[in-house]
Amino acid sequence: MSERRITAGAWSASPVILFLLIGFAAPLAAIIVFSFMPPRTFGFGGQPTFENYVTIFESTTYISLLWSLGFAAMTVVILAFICYPVAYGLVRVFGRWSTLVTLLFVIPLFVSENVRLYGWLLFFIKNGVLLGSLKSMFGLDLESILFTRGIVLFGMVYVYIPFMLFPLTLGISMVPNETREAARDLGATRWQVFREVELPLSLPGLMIGSLLTFVLAVGAIAEAKVLGGQQIIPIAHDIEIAFTYAQNWPLGAALSVLLMLIVGALVLLVLRRVDLDRLLGRR
Amino acid sequence: MKTRAVRIRHALIVVWTIAMVIFVYLPSLSITLASLTSSRYFIFPINKWGLDWWRKTLDSIQIHQILETSLVIALVVTAISIVLAFFGALAFARYDWKGRSWFQKLILLPIFFPQSVLGLALLLWFNAIGLQLSWQTAVFAHLVWIVPVVTLVISIQVYSFDPAIEEAAYDLGASRLQVLREITIPVLMPGIFSGGLFAFLLSWGNFPLSLFTTGADTTVPEYLYAKMVAGYTPGVPVLGTISTVGAIVILIGGYLVMLALNRRRRAGAG
Amino acid sequence: MAGPDGVILYLKGLTKTFAGHAAVDAIDLEIFEGELFTIVGPSGSGKTTLLRMLAGMEMPTSGDIILRGEKINAIPANRRPTCMVFQSLALFPHKEVGANIEFSLKIRGVDPATRKRRALELMEMLRLPESYYRRAVTQISGGERQRVALARALAFDPEILFFDEPLSALDYKLRKTLEKELKDIHRETKKTFVYITHSLEEAMVMSDRIGVMRSGKLVQIGSPQEIYSTPNSKFVSEFIGDVNVVPVTVTGDRKLTSAEVPGEFRAPPIADGMKDGYLVVRPEFLRFLSEPGDADNHVAGKLYNEYALGSRIQYHVRVGEMTFVLEKLRHEAFQGKLDQDVLIGWDAADSIVVPDR
Repeated sequence: MSERRITAGAWSASPVILFLLIGFAAPLAAIIVFSFMPPRTFGFGGQPTFENYVTIFESTTYISLLWSLGFAAMTVVILAFICYPVAYGLVRVFGRWSTLVTLLFVIPLFVSENVRLYGWLLFFIKNGVLLGSLKSMFGLDLESILFTRGIVLFGMVYVYIPFMLFPLTLGISMVPNETREAARDLGATRWQVFREVELPLSLPGLMIGSLLTFVLAVGAIAEAKVLGGQQIIPIAHDIEIAFTYAQNWPLGAALSVLLMLIVGALVLLVLRRVDLDRLLGRR
Repeated sequence: MKTRAVRIRHALIVVWTIAMVIFVYLPSLSITLASLTSSRYFIFPINKWGLDWWRKTLDSIQIHQILETSLVIALVVTAISIVLAFFGALAFARYDWKGRSWFQKLILLPIFFPQSVLGLALLLWFNAIGLQLSWQTAVFAHLVWIVPVVTLVISIQVYSFDPAIEEAAYDLGASRLQVLREITIPVLMPGIFSGGLFAFLLSWGNFPLSLFTTGADTTVPEYLYAKMVAGYTPGVPVLGTISTVGAIVILIGGYLVMLALNRRRRAGAG
Repeated sequence: MAGPDGVILYLKGLTKTFAGHAAVDAIDLEIFEGELFTIVGPSGSGKTTLLRMLAGMEMPTSGDIILRGEKINAIPANRRPTCMVFQSLALFPHKEVGANIEFSLKIRGVDPATRKRRALELMEMLRLPESYYRRAVTQISGGERQRVALARALAFDPEILFFDEPLSALDYKLRKTLEKELKDIHRETKKTFVYITHSLEEAMVMSDRIGVMRSGKLVQIGSPQEIYSTPNSKFVSEFIGDVNVVPVTVTGDRKLTSAEVPGEFRAPPIADGMKDGYLVVRPEFLRFLSEPGDADNHVAGKLYNEYALGSRIQYHVRVGEMTFVLEKLRHEAFQGKLDQDVLIGWDAADSIVVPDR
């Protein structure tokens, strides 16, 4: 570690740091300041007040927040279960097919989530791909499951698959094959190998994946709008309403700050415990 | 030798993965089917197949404009994010410096952040500093989360890069600039390339950030969303299919280019 | 033009501190024109930092680096007439063998034809087939990569070549071959080589002189023979490999006792004023005795185990808590059973007494 490298590192980092200060830290600071402005104002000139926060705690907004947190938590748990076998397969089973399978799961990342959710709408809608087929083939006339709470959860699970799958894959690939074989050789059953060796060693990947999924799902909005038919009002929707129809920016800012606090606390908690260098493959 | 139990487990994993792939592509399939009907409403099974809506959509001047806006934003985002992220990745993964672990966390924050809230925060910020919203502000907004993503993508390549080769080049007489041009950039090229691909595609498909920051300009995902909530029109499946197929073509094309680059490098005849 | 007394590189009080800790601590050293000088030390001894300062990749905290009478402290690596062969070799993975070798010439604006001639010349000297010129560096063997790295370093005709343990990643057999090859190349090119390694064995094979480094200081400098037969401390003597080191107290004129081993021992001449120290006896100087009087000193113990080391056989003999190591040539093997009582001994002249440093 020489002085030259220290400066080279700081020098290389400076454009990004500068950009993130202007493009990320400053907007967050702005939104925090704005949350203390009088309701329905549009500038920074007002007398600071806690009124917006009081409004939030007196209203039923907490219901939206609870829905978002609850659904995000459920999404994380479901995704961990359905993605683990695929992630395991990518690392240990598929061999040279892994690249192709990875590619197949990457592509949806690049298609806007509302387009993909719209596809599910066309799939589940009355006379759509599923119900239409059932009707014409078997004469079954079923009710659509659209516009229910379940379908919103379904949509969230669907949209965030890659965000759980890839960190999990990284995590599992951190488990050396020899350690598993050693555990097996020492008499562990398949389940014990998983619980005692694979799971703890791949935990950083699972943590990053869960964190990413949770954070994105807490801010999710499209699933409820496209598939949920307003059965659930997520917190992000409340925020958007405050900024658009209600034209109450300070209230929206205060809601955003609450969400940021929850997310920020979680992120810092998890990131403190993860060694990024190891996860991303520094030798 | 694989035991019977292992074979069964692997078979189950393969079956499960295939099911997941189908699950992931089912909506895209539905959209594509819906785009191929001639009727005004989508009723399945389709009785009147046709490309009428494709023709109408492709002829629309408004759609051209929207595609152009999306394309311009994605290209500018790609160019800027590659430059910023290249140096960011060196700082992230290559150099040992005092602030590195702090910097690594900073880079992750915008990724680990609800995008809709980020979009609104930027809207508020642009408003506060008096910027007129347009496709340029959308570029800025996209960069806030795409630069960190691209930094991570390039970092993965940087990790597999032996820092001694830069020192060796320097020791052999190269100046800092020559080291960058002759060694660092060519060696990191695969990472830079996939980073660029990510930047383009993520910008192309982004909705939550564009929604609040494009002002009067409209991107493809925004347009689709507006049409979706306004009621059914077969133009939506057509444009949805275009953007899906476009992403697939670009990604696979990029993947093939990478394969070719790698092969040439490995063969060493060039 | 050579410097005074054929000194090419002179280090004066060279020091490098990291966060208050001296990785290299006030080193004074003269390296002579055309010699192969090896710096040996365990990891963390500061040898890599020292080499990196010499190559210009680290700036000294204090002290001077003087090349042919000229102070070069502030000259960066890319403008020093020296070149380094890295531990990882640091071949450019995206360039072919030829382009790797020619890199320094290309940087200096040498025309392609001259460059290629020089590269092929070096490849011939290093016994790399001409067809390798266009080969990818990722497609050649470990030994060949080694030679490409050497050719690349030699290409611009540097005054001094530095080697940062370039053989450490190779398997034993190849390493043995390349050690000799490197010495041959040193002979061919007549350049000054400064080599660092953690293996004194490796240093012995190739060096003209060796400097042993410990905690940032050079604790002994000498020819391989001097280092081997007259180490000046317990550290240096143990560094060479299997050796018998017994803590002793000087009780009189050439008389020693030890808390670990019973009896009084006759010693070689001891430095004046030394009270406590270590008796050092190499395994090949220890013998199995049939009579206590067959050697100056003798000790009774039990044969614990024996190990075949190719041409030699090593024996471990337990004496109380201590284990003595003996080595015999294979055809002089000791015929004994495990756990058998044995008498071992050595002559005073074959041992040395060193201070605890």
